[in-house]
Amino acid sequence: MSIASQLRAAGHICYFNGIIPLWRSPLLIAAVFLTPFSFLFFLRVISTPELFKFGVVGGILFTVLFTGNGMLNDCAYLRLERQLQQIFVASPVRPLSYILGMALSELAFTLPALALFLGILFVVVPFGAAVFVALVGIVLLTWLMATSLGFLISTFFRQLREIWPIGTLVFSLLAVLPPLFYPASRIPSGFQWVAFLAPSTFSAQLAEAVLGLNQGSALSPAWLNDPWFDLAGLVGATVLFGATAVYLARWREP
Amino acid sequence: MDALIADHVSKRYSGGDRGKLALQDVDLSIPKGCLFAFLGRNGAGKTTFIKIAATLLVPTHGEVRLFGHDVVREPERVRPLIALVPQEGKPFYHLTPREHVYEYLRVRGATRESALTRTEEILHAMGLMGVANEPNLRLSGGMQQRALVATILATEAPFLFLDEPTLGMDPFARRQVWEVIRRAARKGSTVLLTTHYLDEAEQLSDELAVIDGGKVLYRGTAEKLKLTLGREVRLQFSGGFTSEELREFGRVFSDRNRLTLLTTRAQVRSLTEMALERGSEVVVGPVTLEEAFLELVGKGIEEDEA
Ligand SMILES: Nc1ncnc2c1ncn2[C@@H]1O[C@H](COP(=O)(O)OP(=O)(O)OP(=O)(O)O)[C@@H](O)[C@H]1O
Ligand SMILES: [Mg+2]
Repeated sequence: MSIASQLRAAGHICYFNGIIPLWRSPLLIAAVFLTPFSFLFFLRVISTPELFKFGVVGGILFTVLFTGNGMLNDCAYLRLERQLQQIFVASPVRPLSYILGMALSELAFTLPALALFLGILFVVVPFGAAVFVALVGIVLLTWLMATSLGFLISTFFRQLREIWPIGTLVFSLLAVLPPLFYPASRIPSGFQWVAFLAPSTFSAQLAEAVLGLNQGSALSPAWLNDPWFDLAGLVGATVLFGATAVYLARWREP
Repeated sequence: MDALIADHVSKRYSGGDRGKLALQDVDLSIPKGCLFAFLGRNGAGKTTFIKIAATLLVPTHGEVRLFGHDVVREPERVRPLIALVPQEGKPFYHLTPREHVYEYLRVRGATRESALTRTEEILHAMGLMGVANEPNLRLSGGMQQRALVATILATEAPFLFLDEPTLGMDPFARRQVWEVIRRAARKGSTVLLTTHYLDEAEQLSDELAVIDGGKVLYRGTAEKLKLTLGREVRLQFSGGFTSEELREFGRVFSDRNRLTLLTTRAQVRSLTEMALERGSEVVVGPVTLEEAFLELVGKGIEEDEA
């Protein structure tokens, strides 16, 4: 199949695995909203308006990162419980189209939540078109990074029940612990670099830089403050996970 | 021309029992357009072979060629030519059978028009029209299986792998599926299917292979299998005999209040006369494929145990 056909295949997978279920069970959207919204609610109650802005950025990134958890669970479920990955392997569909289609359907689930969070963000930190485009870019890169990681992990398991705790663990480590909902400068200096072991920190730092949120609270060492460092980190992690997912993914059992 | 050629294929699962081979040195060829059935007990290696040939699993040794392409080295040439019903697969539960068939065809690159026509055709042929717009999750198990099989058969792929396609289907549904499978073969598709229903294999297949313990025990037609065993007649007695008594004449199966003996033509006369003398009711007929299968595989089991 040509590249156009492969892309169309991904589009169809997104349609029947993402859009149709969403349309039939709109409650699924609520499930996506719930956790980041609760965090945001807490922050609204216990913190300052200045810190709340970080919380909204955190809500956006949390939502995006959990597409990775959805990807992990959905791909494992289709492969192990329904034996459906097999019908895509034994077909002209390339692994990359399948991964992309599944990842797009995970994104579809989160679009309503993302739109709402972006709306809130606009209210608390008004931004222009250029910043909006940059934010969308960060969201897309983070989504690719998270879903590649999710797919990659999913391929190494043979039991669904082993996967559930792993997904929650990995993506909570990525989305809750690192400085997404709070400024990285709150981490004791000397340990701030540790946060960058989680690639989600790059997304958060980048988004905060784009929105002008972290002025006057520098991290040490100083190069941690460079947005280009964040961009390189995010792109690097995305490429690393994406390439590993495509090349190491167990499209064929050993 | 052969659609599939397997050459010395062996498989040892990496996580599996160290000493055990799921497939041992399997040689097999399936002519183009053939409807080929794979028979064997649970764990015989049928699914393993299908997975290897369908580019889902890497063999430990040997090679499989599909339409001349090596399934390990050239999967991207093989995959457009195949479609597969996985053993115990389940369709996407939130889709309706109509969406399921149509969307899968579109994913595989069919045009909108051709996908639409083929979808309606197959839904009709598989008796799915009545539930075509019901989400799969509301369908019965057999209906869901039909939706999945319909999805794969609608592809009209040159090579169709059907691993227990009629599992859980009622006798009417099975016959509908047989008809669709036959039509696919008439249109030129080669079909490799597995089934535990021996009547199905007999009805449907041009040729079959019996596999046991990862080895091919027999390959040929159902008719020939029944003849080659040397016991081509089956006698059923109601009373008058003990199974010990009959055992010297051939293989004996007992069920409920009857004894079934598979034996040679030469024995029929004397045995029926004995039965009449003892007032036992006797029914004479040809062996079924199921009995031939039991005989063939049973011999192997006895040899292993001895
Ligand atoms: N993933 C696996 N890991 C280890 N061993 C396996 C695996 N899959 C199958 N086996 C073993 O390989 C052998 C053949 O299994 P296979 O599934 O091919 O049998 P089958 O003929 O399809 O049986 P059935 O009629 O029950 O479907 C069995 O002994 C089985 O235990
Ligand atoms: Mg099997």
